[in-house]
Amino acid sequence: MSITLVQVIVSGLLLGAVYALFSSGLTLIWGMMNVVNFAHGDFVMLGMYAAVMIWTALGGGPFAAVPVAAMLIATLGIVSYFLLVRHIMRGPMLAQILGTFGLALFLRYSAFWYFGADFKTLPDTIVGGSFVLGGVRFEGSRVLAGGMGLAITLALHLILTRTAIGSRMLAVSEDATAAQLMGIRPQRMQALAWAMAGAATGIAGALIANFFYTSPTVGETLAIIAFVTVSFGGFGSVLGALVAGLIIGVVESLSAYLIGPVYKDVVVYILFVLVLWFRPQGLMGKA
Amino acid sequence: MKRYLFPGALVVLALVYPLLVAGSPVWERLGALVLLGAIGASAWNIVGGYAGQVSVGHSVFFGFGAYSAVVVYTHLGWPPIAGAPLGMVLSVLLAAIIGVPTLRLAGHYFSMATIAVAELVRVLSSTSEFLGGAQGLGGPAMPRTVFDLSFISATPFYYIFLAVLAFLLGLTWWIERGRMGFYLRAIKDSERAARSLGVSSGRYKLYAYMLSGAFTSLAGSLYLCMFGFVDPESGFGILISVKMVVMAALGGAGVLFGPLVGALILVPLEELSNSYLGGRGAGLTFVVYGAIIVIIARFLPSGLLSLFERRPARPPAAKNQPASGHAD
Amino acid sequence: MTKATRRGFSAGAALTVLGLGKAASAQPAPVKIGVIYPLSGNSASAGNYSKMAIEVGADVINNGNAELAKIIPLAKGGGLPGLGGAKIQLIFADNQGTPAAGQNQALRLISEEKVAALIGAYQSGITLTASAIAERHGLPFLTAESVAANLTERGFKWFFRTTPVAIDFARAYSTFLKEQKAAGQKVGAIALVHENTEYGNSVASVIADQFGKDGLPITQKIAYSANSSDVQPQVLQLKEKNPDVVIFISYTSDAILYAKTMKELNWKPSIMIADNAGFNDPAFLKAMGSTVEGLVNRSAYSGGKPGSVPAIFNELYKAKAGVELDDVSVRGLQGFLVLADAINRAGSTDPAKIQAALRATNLPAEQMAAGYDGVKFDDKGQNVLASSVVTQLQGGKYVTIFPKARATANVILPYKGW
Repeated sequence: MSITLVQVIVSGLLLGAVYALFSSGLTLIWGMMNVVNFAHGDFVMLGMYAAVMIWTALGGGPFAAVPVAAMLIATLGIVSYFLLVRHIMRGPMLAQILGTFGLALFLRYSAFWYFGADFKTLPDTIVGGSFVLGGVRFEGSRVLAGGMGLAITLALHLILTRTAIGSRMLAVSEDATAAQLMGIRPQRMQALAWAMAGAATGIAGALIANFFYTSPTVGETLAIIAFVTVSFGGFGSVLGALVAGLIIGVVESLSAYLIGPVYKDVVVYILFVLVLWFRPQGLMGKA
Repeated sequence: MKRYLFPGALVVLALVYPLLVAGSPVWERLGALVLLGAIGASAWNIVGGYAGQVSVGHSVFFGFGAYSAVVVYTHLGWPPIAGAPLGMVLSVLLAAIIGVPTLRLAGHYFSMATIAVAELVRVLSSTSEFLGGAQGLGGPAMPRTVFDLSFISATPFYYIFLAVLAFLLGLTWWIERGRMGFYLRAIKDSERAARSLGVSSGRYKLYAYMLSGAFTSLAGSLYLCMFGFVDPESGFGILISVKMVVMAALGGAGVLFGPLVGALILVPLEELSNSYLGGRGAGLTFVVYGAIIVIIARFLPSGLLSLFERRPARPPAAKNQPASGHAD
Repeated sequence: MTKATRRGFSAGAALTVLGLGKAASAQPAPVKIGVIYPLSGNSASAGNYSKMAIEVGADVINNGNAELAKIIPLAKGGGLPGLGGAKIQLIFADNQGTPAAGQNQALRLISEEKVAALIGAYQSGITLTASAIAERHGLPFLTAESVAANLTERGFKWFFRTTPVAIDFARAYSTFLKEQKAAGQKVGAIALVHENTEYGNSVASVIADQFGKDGLPITQKIAYSANSSDVQPQVLQLKEKNPDVVIFISYTSDAILYAKTMKELNWKPSIMIADNAGFNDPAFLKAMGSTVEGLVNRSAYSGGKPGSVPAIFNELYKAKAGVELDDVSVRGLQGFLVLADAINRAGSTDPAKIQAALRATNLPAEQMAAGYDGVKFDDKGQNVLASSVVTQLQGGKYVTIFPKARATANVILPYKGW
């Protein structure tokens, strides 16, 4: 295998870990509440702006930006839950699309109004350049984002499967009424899920901002990737999102390199539809 | 008697609207835009509202309609409207091709699969020379005959759209009251229960999807006749699909006049907010537009028409439980 | 019109009739010009910069600029002398990046705002739909930046275009590269990387045609979708084939990613050309300027010596926008100035008179804010004197290196990068 091909696969894997990172919040909400957050991409976008602000106003790097973005977007998640999501969940599934799409437009253009239409980027000096390992070049910012992506998705997975709070959250997602009878407060658990999802999404944004451009409309680009990643992996499965993210990253990279960049989305969408044909519940979703 | 009051008033108002705003091209056009939006959303409503299969990829049919219209002009020199039947036939076939694999999917999986298919078609269309690639294709620059439907005033479009919408709503009403409507409602409430009652749920979902696709395609063809241009983004873009869903959901999905009510609110809101706020370049248009959608969703999650229903607006919570897929 | 101004107007009119007074004492109704740009959506950045450039132009005409007045007659201030000193009022509309919104707004500007003429709309597809409405209503529509070839092939009588089109760019690159070849640079393998929307596709195919005729070998052609999340595979493809020259046709977001990724993967060609757009966006320069030193670009903005029209406008624009004039903003400004000149010569807001005045436009090169040879329209409405210069990023700023007559600096090759 040529070294270039290895480089393509490595960059695909790193990209995929980032996809997994910004999809994990979406899959958590989706699995917990069967709510699709159409504003998810815009949550990521706000996380990115948080990082940009912290750099331009305070000169802080990712170590300052990550916790701040996590807290900000977690707060946004909680606020969205109590003011909006809690209420639209009582309506039909369509109300979610209506409400979260409205929220998406509102957030996207509030950012537009506040930050302007300009594309912003962080200087690539913040997260030190790149290093070569066995002839393959790794960029610091992507390795950091990819590594954090792996760590956070795994952590979310462990929280959901191995802790008391996780099993309470799962109980609510299985049957809110029964959980309530057992003394679990569903709203509190659901708000917690939004907070966790928001934090993960904020972190994703703060890390992506190191190697991607930030603009008010960037969320649109990211949201579709997140939707595909999550349904590919199976709703609610954090592990599924991770595996799906890595597969999509590598498939995109390889098809862009081997077939042509225009067709990389075509290959990913076809693969996605095929996966749903054979496994309608996604790779790791439960039927 | 009372139940005919609202539709009756609506019909009268719809018929005389252009006369009321005569002399103001912007308001004439606004009327036509509302009806065009209502045609798309009402077409979506058949499968998305009545059958409860929330497609977020209906732009694929819209785009087929728009491209069919412009392709018969570009490659054959026909008036664009002549492409409308072609678009409808192709859309029915396409609906069958997409529907068979995707309609098996439950809930959000179906929505996401439809998004993926629409995006797939959008990307492919931008690489097709025949469809004008990413540049898109334009209709007749100057009207050649009256069949080019190239009018200075929007009023002829208004009445064409009104006739199409009336036909579509009539058809929907007829379906709603017939056996198929009953089946679709059963499928929407509980597919498993419907199947156990002997309803061939797959077949009826597919019928609804094909019918819905055909009329969405017609909306696309009409769009092209009015605006005279389509490119991959304005034909197959995800925003086209989302707007249909949002209009129907805002008015009331699965309700005959729901999409029309949604269009009556959203289209003027969009046009007026852009006219008054757009020129400043601060994006305020969409801040206002988004906020209003959020507020309606927050207080009337079942759509505006749920205000007039005697049934409780809020279905029992159990309905909203996941169809499949849980956190692991 | 308020009571006071109406009185002022009739008094002024009376004096003019008597041949006694100067029109300056009166204040005729302002001339409205409708400006349609993408002020939201993906191209909003470009739209908002162009909006500011046109506002600078209107301010110069309405309030004057002593330095510019020496060269451009309209810059004396006090509005349009041909219309008794009427001020220009700009009415902006947002096309939201969709052909439908562009057309709806064009109709609103024509019928509600009663504008005298329209200018816009940046994206070619939107210019197509918006100008169709203007044509049907018999109102001049001028596009200052849409380059799609078919726009001027529709037989429209009210459509005018000041900007150079793709073939002009292609010729500029071709001549530039042939000159470099003669000077000893290697141009044996040329890669063309373009985004896959209307802009990238059309420019790429025109360049490929022109280079084919001129014997410049295009050895690699990479199309990619705009707004990509990752461009590593493309850069790796380039790295593998290692062409001498790369021409990028990209929007801002992609331009940023290419610049970043090329540095990350440590690859550069000996000549790197960017076809304007993304690589010219002030946002791109702010963010990535230091990593693309020596980048060759084309531009309608040629800088120019202090005291020249572009230089003075650049100062005015910088004070307002905080960035230098660039290709897109200067083309918008130039289009506006041409329109204002025509309305002034028409001496009326009657569309037919403005149309006739536009047809008779003949502006010399020294009055140009953009680097055109002047403005003069053919029967199709295309400016036959439109041209573009080749620039190079030197020390974080674009300087003109080609053609020789306009050059303000010497070309420095090979491409330095970071």
